[in-house]
Amino acid sequence: MRLLEAQEAIKQSPAPESPVLDVQLACGITPLHFSTFLQAHLRQDFPSHRIAINSGVFGDLPGNLERLGSVVNSFVVALIEWQDLDPRLGIRSLGGWSPRQLPEIIRTVRDQAARISAALESLSSKNRVAVSFPTLTLPPISFTPGFLFSRFECDLRSIMASFSSRLSEFPEIRQVNSQHIDQISPLSSRLDVKSEFNTGFPYSLTHADKLADLIAKLLREQLPKKGLITDLDDTFWLGILGEVNPEGVSWDLDHHAQKHGLYQQFLSSLAESGTLIAVASKNDPALIEEAFRVRKPLLARDKIFPLEANWGPKSASVKKILEIWNVGADSVVFVDDSAMDLAEVGSACPGIECVLFPKEDDKATLQLLYNLRNQFGKTSISAEDEIRLGSIRSSRAVAQVTQSAGYTPERFLREAEGKITISFTKVPPDPRVLELINKTNQFNLNGKRHTDSSWRQYLNDPDTFLMVASYEDRFGPLGKIAVVAGQSQAGTLNIHQWVMSCRAFSRRIEHGCLLSLFQKFDAQEAIFDFATTPRNGPTQEFFAQLLGKAPQAIFSLSRQQFVKNSPVIFLHIQESSGE
Amino acid sequence: MRCFAAVFSEPSEQKIATNRLDTLAGWDSVAAATLVSTIEEEFETELDLDALGTHPSFQSILEYLTKESDA
Repeated sequence: MRLLEAQEAIKQSPAPESPVLDVQLACGITPLHFSTFLQAHLRQDFPSHRIAINSGVFGDLPGNLERLGSVVNSFVVALIEWQDLDPRLGIRSLGGWSPRQLPEIIRTVRDQAARISAALESLSSKNRVAVSFPTLTLPPISFTPGFLFSRFECDLRSIMASFSSRLSEFPEIRQVNSQHIDQISPLSSRLDVKSEFNTGFPYSLTHADKLADLIAKLLREQLPKKGLITDLDDTFWLGILGEVNPEGVSWDLDHHAQKHGLYQQFLSSLAESGTLIAVASKNDPALIEEAFRVRKPLLARDKIFPLEANWGPKSASVKKILEIWNVGADSVVFVDDSAMDLAEVGSACPGIECVLFPKEDDKATLQLLYNLRNQFGKTSISAEDEIRLGSIRSSRAVAQVTQSAGYTPERFLREAEGKITISFTKVPPDPRVLELINKTNQFNLNGKRHTDSSWRQYLNDPDTFLMVASYEDRFGPLGKIAVVAGQSQAGTLNIHQWVMSCRAFSRRIEHGCLLSLFQKFDAQEAIFDFATTPRNGPTQEFFAQLLGKAPQAIFSLSRQQFVKNSPVIFLHIQESSGE
Repeated sequence: MRCFAAVFSEPSEQKIATNRLDTLAGWDSVAAATLVSTIEEEFETELDLDALGTHPSFQSILEYLTKESDA
């Protein structure tokens, strides 16, 4: 983005009554164009918000951070440059570069780093924090030649590494990946000496833009893709299985097939971090099973679900996989070495991202893995990530049971041994809750979404309650699958948010949740902040069953009505402390 | 003019074109630095502020850029 484009983007601000996204920009430099670029990138990421960027005083990063002590539910951005740790490490100071001063500079840097770290740690308990460590080159301060890694510079880097490592322990602190900024903004073109001398703004426009873009990415809640569907022949492994048989396919250096090995290794890592992996292949299923059994690829067979192998069009397999996963095509990436199959799938499954496996290009394959990492990356691995595949398998098992002879919903639910565990804990905020609110479409009371900051604000209101339900039955655990948020006043519940994962449908968990709420708050009535959305049909059906008619915007349901119209709930319901 | 209009929020293009920049609402050191950087990036040139005089205007900057491109 150019500076002119950034300024014009900022001018397209939403209406004055739009919610404000407060960003506290803490830095020691003049924020100038960085602030402009940051605002412009945040405008793209939060189009319905007005962006307000507040910055502190020049040359005092630690003080600026400490003065933010009372800030809550905000985004805090800390731009650290060498001169913030000791002004002599910048080019605006004439404090001396004498070899005798170097040990003292190291001590100052260590002290300032500790001070900045303490301020950031404290701010992270109530805000989301993004941190950028020094991106500019050190001045020619040491007495050694520039190509020699001096003891002085080694000590500085060591302090920064410890500092960064400590901050990484705090989940709300997100750091710019130095390797990534190195890739997109060459070190030699980051510093604008003239601008630094004239205005105290040291960044070239290009570097300011790239860094601001990364910081904006760190602040927004990026929802990773949920699943990857891969082809096998000449993609997952080198070779056509039907032609060379299991012993003929390869994925190692010896067979010039290392890129396929790296791809498998990468998929295995994705699978273990909760990404769904499936196979869509034009192949003989028995031969594939044999290949996995005999050759043992780096991605184990049990990490793949489902494996669709047949001679029909790939799009049919992909559609079936999406149905089993119960996810939208726009949450999925399809990887194949055939441009024709990619085009066929892309046209049959709008929204799916189709990516060519560059089987002839080693370098491009590595770049593909970097790109996929950005699409599937997440800030942490949750308990839900660890059980996702298991719960989808169990949903499939449930679906098969419901299609079997002699099935009745009553009998199935009675024998399922379903158990929901309810928690009313609001603090600390559980990222899974916000994820459910922002991702769930079908069972969603009104489709309202939250930013991290607006959600924290909601939870901080002492009058609000939050109910989170986890579910498990004899088919396995589904994890945290439902969230209800609202207020309870004088026997009346005001329900503001209610979402439930579609994986939890058909178990009467929604009935169990409502029953629990009536009981917990001894309420006789519930008022729902309901709104019809294009995708919340299941929610409408649920309420229509209880009300005897289609729900209207904001409606009331009495406990008596609920008890009268609710089907039998075959669930064991228990309350936990929320841990 | 697009560079100027991006920096100033209120004045009309006509007002920008016919007045000294330091008489326009919103003109301060930040606006000056932003305008200079924007013009430098868009015209791929370095702007010598001293050459523009004490009271730069749209016209004086335009003349400066024209002279630079002719040189």
